[in-house]
Amino acid sequence: MESILADLEIATFAVDEVVEGTQTGWSDGRLTVSLPQLAVGAGESALAEATVEVVRPGDSVRISNVLDAVLPSVKADDAALTFPGVLGPASVTGASSFAMATSVAGAGRTHRFDGLAVLSTCDWLRAGYVGPEELPDSFVDMAGPGADRSPFGSTADVVIGYVPAEGAPVDEVDAAIRRETLRVSRELAATTLDVEPAHAATLPWPPTPADASLPAVVLMLQVASEGPLTDTFWQGEPLRELDPTEADPRAIIDGALTNGAYDWPAVRNVTAAYQGSALIRDLFAAHGQRLRFAGVIVAPGYLDSAEQKQRSAGAAAELAARLGADGVICTTFSSGNSHTDTMLTVQACEQRGIGTVALVCETNGGLTDHVPEANSLISTGNEDDLVEPWTPDRVIGGEGARSGEPVPTWAYLGACSQMGETTWTAVPA
Amino acid sequence: MDGGARMTIIHYLNQFFAGLGGEEAAGHEPVKLDGPRGPGRAFAAAGAAPDVTLACGDDHFAEHEPEVLATLLAWLEELRPHVLICGPSFGSGRYGYACGVLAREAGRRGVAVVAAMTPDSPGVMAAEGAAYIVPTGSSVASMKAVLPSMARLAARLAEGETLGGPEEEGYLPRGLRVMVRAEHTGARRAIDQLLDKLAGDVRTEVGSTGDRVPPVPAVSDLHTVRLALVTEAGCVPQGNPDRLPTRHANVWLRYSIADADSLGAGAYESVHAGFDTTAGNDDPNRLVPLDAARALERDGAFGVLHDSFYTTSGVDTPVATAAKFGQEIAAELREAKVGAVILTGT
Repeated sequence: MESILADLEIATFAVDEVVEGTQTGWSDGRLTVSLPQLAVGAGESALAEATVEVVRPGDSVRISNVLDAVLPSVKADDAALTFPGVLGPASVTGASSFAMATSVAGAGRTHRFDGLAVLSTCDWLRAGYVGPEELPDSFVDMAGPGADRSPFGSTADVVIGYVPAEGAPVDEVDAAIRRETLRVSRELAATTLDVEPAHAATLPWPPTPADASLPAVVLMLQVASEGPLTDTFWQGEPLRELDPTEADPRAIIDGALTNGAYDWPAVRNVTAAYQGSALIRDLFAAHGQRLRFAGVIVAPGYLDSAEQKQRSAGAAAELAARLGADGVICTTFSSGNSHTDTMLTVQACEQRGIGTVALVCETNGGLTDHVPEANSLISTGNEDDLVEPWTPDRVIGGEGARSGEPVPTWAYLGACSQMGETTWTAVPA
Repeated sequence: MDGGARMTIIHYLNQFFAGLGGEEAAGHEPVKLDGPRGPGRAFAAAGAAPDVTLACGDDHFAEHEPEVLATLLAWLEELRPHVLICGPSFGSGRYGYACGVLAREAGRRGVAVVAAMTPDSPGVMAAEGAAYIVPTGSSVASMKAVLPSMARLAARLAEGETLGGPEEEGYLPRGLRVMVRAEHTGARRAIDQLLDKLAGDVRTEVGSTGDRVPPVPAVSDLHTVRLALVTEAGCVPQGNPDRLPTRHANVWLRYSIADADSLGAGAYESVHAGFDTTAGNDDPNRLVPLDAARALERDGAFGVLHDSFYTTSGVDTPVATAAKFGQEIAAELREAKVGAVILTGT
């Protein structure tokens, strides 16, 4: 795969302080947010209302009904190209439905805030779109015993609360929510456009040739897309009917891959996890030093039948072999069903002589599935571990929200990311 | 001791170690004795002196478990101990079981429990993770090594300390997995672990915990067998009157089908949160195949259909919970002389 584009450059701006003001702007680590200027939801007919507020670590606040987290980002050369397919034009050429090598995302300079996230919230139950318990509780605690569970408990958060318009179809409401959340993320980051960044990381792809004796490592990134409220998007299109496909890692961290799946929060791959992917960044960093970064495969999880799972796992392993992989790191999407996809992929790779490590989250009492070949797993925690009861001063994004009750870890957004975003793990006791 | 606010420690022993007698005293009723007895005297030297010793004959415990437990728990309620020490029971099945059951019940009531037995003792299972169990050999020969370990754990628990992991502290894993912070992110650990594996050093942070269940022999005579229908499809009467959780179920339920030939649409539904229930709700017989089972029963394809079906919602259910459901349902089916089951999964 030949790249015809300039290298991706990620310039980060560390946010020390977020304040509300009359003019949205950026100055020396201080972000001023004008809520009226953002005019969230104004142009979206599927939304009745959108409210915005800023919360900070230490606030006695539980954020409830959290859907997604986004790292504020903007393309420096042309802000209109940010989040292709959702805000900007999708860039698709070639035979594949997502030919990443020529994607706009993944090239040129991107400005991004560090220490700030935009969180979307919507009470789907109250709006009448889902039944009770159809979607699990989804929290970020800014203080109290659960504050360290979600990584977004230790960032400043711009929280947007969405209320669907009466009678609007669910897919249109969700599309509006995702569009607005990404737009706000872009508007905030755009305040840095006339500032020269202090830190910028250059990520060339394909990477510079490295010592051939180093092991070639491929990242197998599992995603799933099952319909409205359980979709993953590539340049704004849901990844249904996905076959294992090679992806440009720069495009993934540059906003081409976004989340619209709102099941189990602790193991939810939020958009911020794709944008900030610790695995992709660490693989770039280790390239030429300890390994050769040989590619990323986006592969489907949550497939319906045993035959589909077997076939897809085989195809994923075959593609990894074609990329010359000596080793594969398999991530997992959500919990339950998809663990079988992970295990079969591990098995298919190992049977082809490719060594594997898979990241999985445990439930009390262990793993949903396991194959003998899965002899090297990373535990990203125990979803059923209980957090002590806490009564926040305020709940935003919903009501009740288990105040004063123990909260299982599965309710905390991104706590047990099976993309390896956090340092949580589980040990015997 | 200086008479300050010291912690209360209770010790449980069987008839033999409490000095009540040997096998001839195995039917001894529960008794409450002041101060340490038998091995309890060694705990005193290690700073974990039992204030009270409770004891019961092993046979008596086994034969009158509910009554004995009620008596022992009433004493615990009255004495309000901070720590309960059980045994050591070594390889003794009956004694180990009694220690495990008491440990489980005391643990559930907030008492810290230390026990000691062989890792394969029935008491380990019975304790259900509620006790810190120090592994022993099968005979009293390991007494000398075990008592200081028990005393050390008990003394620390009595001080309100939080114990470290099983390997570090020397107790059997309780089947719990607690959240802790690793030094590096999962991403970094995955890369490190993969490179080590490719270099020949294979390790894992979590292994398989599932047990492989060997299939039972085929049903020998279908024409006489009592057949039961069991499902994890979340099938319940319309409106879910008993509030079966849609996910993370903590109960299974039983519903009578004695007078029914079919599960009607609108009369039953699935509350399972893990699959599209539309087709199942349109015809609940596809969740629990009562219509087909009745037809086969009429044709004499099998003996008789059991008069209840069993249901839970199998979605994100911890393996331990699912195993417990299976054991409980199987025990009831066995009691009802059920010889075959159709388990509809989703």
